[in-house]
Amino acid sequence: MTESVWGPVKQEMSDLLQTYPDDVPAVVDQLTKLQDILGRVPPLLAENPLCDFNKLYLTITESVLERLYAGRFADPSFLSRLDVEFAARYFDALRAWAGPDASPRCPRVWAGLFQRIPGPDCRPLPAACAGVNAHINFDLPFALVTTFDHLGTDPIDDSIQHHDYLQINEIFAAAIPGLRRGYLDRWQVLIDTMNGRLDDWWQGEAIDYTRNVAWRNAQKLWGMRHDMTATDKERAHLDRIASDLGKLLLSPLGEFLQ
Amino acid sequence: MASEEGDDGPLVGRTDTLAEIESDLRNVGPGGTAAVFVTGESGVGKSRLLRETARAMGDAGYSVLSGTCLDIGDASPLHPVLQALRQYQPDLQQWDQPTGADALLDRVSRDLRAVAGEKDLLLVLDDLQWADRSTRQLLLYLLAGLGGIRLSVLAAVRAEALHGAHPLRRVLAELRRLRSVRVVDLAPLDRDQTSELVSAIAGEGIEPEDADRVYKRSGGNPFVVEELARDLRDGRVELSDTLREIFLSRVDELPPAAHAVVHAVAAGVEPVEHTVLARVTGLAEAELIEAIRAAVAHRFVASSADGYRLRHRLVAEVLEAEVLEAEAASLHRRYAEAMEVSGAADHARLAHHWQRAGEPARALPSVVAAARSAEKLYGFTEAHRYWSLALDLTTDDAPERIELLAHAAESAHHCGEHQRALDRLAELSQRPDAPGECELHLRRARYLAAAGRSATAEVEYELALRSPDCTPQQRVSAAANLAELLLHLGRYADAYARATEALDQAAVNGSTRDLVRASAALGFSSAFREDPDAGLAVIRHAVEIAERSGHPDDLGVAYLHLAELLTGPLNSVEEGVLVARRGADRLAALGAGRTYQTRLLAIAGNGLFRVGQWAEADAVLEAAMRHRPSGADAVELLLARCRLWVGFGDVEAAQRDLDAVATLLAGGGARHVLPMLTLRAGLAMWQGRHAQARAAVQRGLTETRSDDLVLLGVLAWHGLRAEAEARAAGEAVDPGAIRRLKTVVDRMAQGVGNAATPVRAVVDGYLDLCNAELSRVEEKHDPDPWQRAATAWDRRKQPYPAAYARLRRAEAALTRKSRKAAAVLALREAYATATAMGARPFAAEIVSTAHRFRVALADDVDTQELGGPGAEDDGLAVLTQREREVLAAVAEGLTNREIGERLYISERTVGVHVGHIFDKLQVRTRVQASRVYLTAA
Repeated sequence: MTESVWGPVKQEMSDLLQTYPDDVPAVVDQLTKLQDILGRVPPLLAENPLCDFNKLYLTITESVLERLYAGRFADPSFLSRLDVEFAARYFDALRAWAGPDASPRCPRVWAGLFQRIPGPDCRPLPAACAGVNAHINFDLPFALVTTFDHLGTDPIDDSIQHHDYLQINEIFAAAIPGLRRGYLDRWQVLIDTMNGRLDDWWQGEAIDYTRNVAWRNAQKLWGMRHDMTATDKERAHLDRIASDLGKLLLSPLGEFLQ
Repeated sequence: MASEEGDDGPLVGRTDTLAEIESDLRNVGPGGTAAVFVTGESGVGKSRLLRETARAMGDAGYSVLSGTCLDIGDASPLHPVLQALRQYQPDLQQWDQPTGADALLDRVSRDLRAVAGEKDLLLVLDDLQWADRSTRQLLLYLLAGLGGIRLSVLAAVRAEALHGAHPLRRVLAELRRLRSVRVVDLAPLDRDQTSELVSAIAGEGIEPEDADRVYKRSGGNPFVVEELARDLRDGRVELSDTLREIFLSRVDELPPAAHAVVHAVAAGVEPVEHTVLARVTGLAEAELIEAIRAAVAHRFVASSADGYRLRHRLVAEVLEAEVLEAEAASLHRRYAEAMEVSGAADHARLAHHWQRAGEPARALPSVVAAARSAEKLYGFTEAHRYWSLALDLTTDDAPERIELLAHAAESAHHCGEHQRALDRLAELSQRPDAPGECELHLRRARYLAAAGRSATAEVEYELALRSPDCTPQQRVSAAANLAELLLHLGRYADAYARATEALDQAAVNGSTRDLVRASAALGFSSAFREDPDAGLAVIRHAVEIAERSGHPDDLGVAYLHLAELLTGPLNSVEEGVLVARRGADRLAALGAGRTYQTRLLAIAGNGLFRVGQWAEADAVLEAAMRHRPSGADAVELLLARCRLWVGFGDVEAAQRDLDAVATLLAGGGARHVLPMLTLRAGLAMWQGRHAQARAAVQRGLTETRSDDLVLLGVLAWHGLRAEAEARAAGEAVDPGAIRRLKTVVDRMAQGVGNAATPVRAVVDGYLDLCNAELSRVEEKHDPDPWQRAATAWDRRKQPYPAAYARLRRAEAALTRKSRKAAAVLALREAYATATAMGARPFAAEIVSTAHRFRVALADDVDTQELGGPGAEDDGLAVLTQREREVLAAVAEGLTNREIGERLYISERTVGVHVGHIFDKLQVRTRVQASRVYLTAA
């Protein structure tokens, strides 16, 4: 640990992570600042895989905030809390990251993505998806449990909270093709015109599917939330599964997605 | 965690942290409390830090109480705090049965106060991650200042626990925003600190590469560093890298009896008493003492006055993995037997051992006893877990299962585990010995309604009403409850019908409780359906019935409903306040219904605020706070009182109450977030902190439900006002914020058409204010929208917003230089209202406006700026603003009655203020008080 993993932006990073956002506008603000800082991490700069994820996450959170302002959710206090809780886990992982083998408190699934920040380079879409994987498959169920616990409601299918939660799927579906097009270079346009629709559809399904799994996992965790040993075991289990999936996304195989 | 005093290694690398923690703990906030939470991984030295701090602060004259939370999964409620108290009061068990959760918390606070005496109190809690829910709530209650104790809390939390969905994670996230709370993350030692510690233990002659190896192996964890350094010192060559192997090799070196002692302590619940240990190990006294000595010498076990502990949890965890299942079971059996022999009353602990001993049948009685005693302490979460455990211990055909299921469902319902409650009920209904169909529907409906699943709850009530086995009593109860539910859903016509149905039969078949409930539902639905008189008559009748029954619950509910109806939809605030106070007095005379008294006084306080009698409101809220409410009741009172402070301009008190609210809300509760944010914005505006005000409102906008029109109205008004004030102060307005606020105003305007008349009147008032603020943001200087707003609030008989609108109206007119005479009149009216209420920041704003336009506010007096609140330090600083005003009048030689007339408060309230003034100034006569005043002035 002779040198910080964040290199020249070390100080800015640690200053930024001193703040703990407590509402959705503050989360958007934090992600925006993070985007700028991440874009200056050498050697890949704005091409680094975490940058790709952060950008997607920022876009999504901005859409959530827009919908909150527009009164589109039935239980905004639930969704606001969830959004803040959810983001807190990403920021926690960043706080815990001090380099490979030096970050006992950083979830493995996040560590897998973070250690690719200096390279080797990978395609932006699988990189963003690896972040989405960590965030949804690992962080989300816990964020859901904490939110429900705090608000004193149960995670019940078909409740208004569940419907609000499902709205986020639409936001993801809308954000992902956008991200793709943002990154397309010339030859990929060609591929995109050939199978773009199919590709988008597949992406949308994947998000839908994993988010549904997160909801189910949250319900499972809800039942055991008072049992620390059982929750810990489940956490390690989820971390393992998610990090295996993450590895796949960041492997050469993942480039198929691009 | 248990490394005990006496044989600690030197403390390395923590000097600064220690000093900071101590200073943070001393630095209590305005609420009189401070807290430091130390987080870090196991073995990083949290307990050590706690111990060192406790010692230092004890030496400095603090009264120190320490407790440790247990990891047995099912500790009894409030365990660590009661454990701490028992150090002073061994007979703590013999508490009078407290009547309600409020009373229990109050009781604990009183005991803590008694222990503290004249000293400041430091409460040290180790292993807080294992704290039960009751303990967490008590902690928040104390930190919010509700216990009335000056208190510092120092607690340790394992960092590992905060990763998943542990409830403390959220609590700490909220608390760390407060000025009086600090979360200290204890990091492992770095390379140099590790070397320092190694040298301190093993002597100076250590090779650098050895020290380096220790650093690599231990990762800087001080506990492991110390152990490895000792090996180094003793010339032991460590072959293994893992903590586990290091310790196992040492266990092997123990003499057999000491070996048994270590394993026995590891299986016990710490601290393990000597007599219990003797029974568990079966060793003769002399042999036992020798074995313990060996275990202590080998640094496994620590001994203290209350028993034995392992030196560190990490050791227990290593040993746990080594013991065979059968061995462990036999140890637990011996513990259980030993406890039964000694007749210990700790059901939770006994249950734990029997269960681990693999003897479910013998565990059952203790589990049930533990559940019942948890319920006595209002620990429904813990009780629910015991009932569930009891169910796990019994088979389907056990005859007691039906009762256990019923208890499990009911306790789940009480602790907010709605889905669990429903699941238990579902299981219960499948059984051949289940209660009747109607009964089941009623219960299910009750649970569903509590879970907020109104539509399904409604169906269940209807099914209950249609059940063939529905008795007349059940019919009344179902209809009354359904009416109440429909009322909450805003379906007034349906609620009216159901309430009528219930009342028709209630006279013959209903309990007073159902009668009161049905009357209330009828009263409210009538009021909302624009036939208030009929509704009022019904509720008044219900009050009479309750008076005749004399039961505190009936009285409480009846008075509550009548007062709410009057102050709410009927807007007869004065009368509502009278009713609320009469009800509170009535219950106080009965010596019962403390929660109802608190709620009634809260209604009175809120009503008095609205009609502008702020000093009186202050007195009422203070009386309510003396009931020491907890939970949602406390939050509501604090919010009401804070609104007064904001109005009075007492920034410090307002901040204190806002912090207290935030502390309580860290434990959960979404309903009160919006009022808190609104107050935060209001306070920030008077302080000229527009950025803060705007941020609070914007956050509020992301949490507002679109159907809460009134809350939305207050929030939008605050938001637009903040933008307007920012513009007036020469700052840029935020076009995004304005656009969003306009959207909200549009939404309100659309929604208001469907609202019930009483709601519409209030929302219209806020819409007027919003539109007027919008014209101010656009710098139109148009007095007309403000005039409309003033008229609307006059009609609502609420002087504060009306006077505010008058000020703005005058300001607009004076800027335009039109209708000056009317403007001056409006300004003077506003000023009279503001001073009568004691609204200092508002009055100051009027004065500065008057100055700006060179308007005299009164013919015979020079207008002068009222000084900022709390600015003076003249020996009268202990007094509240209101008390100063009263004292000034006392010094003029006025009687209480005359003072009351001048300040628009009752003679009695003046008396209360005078009493407070005497206490605070430590004088006994009016003359003495006047002298203090005149000297200071």
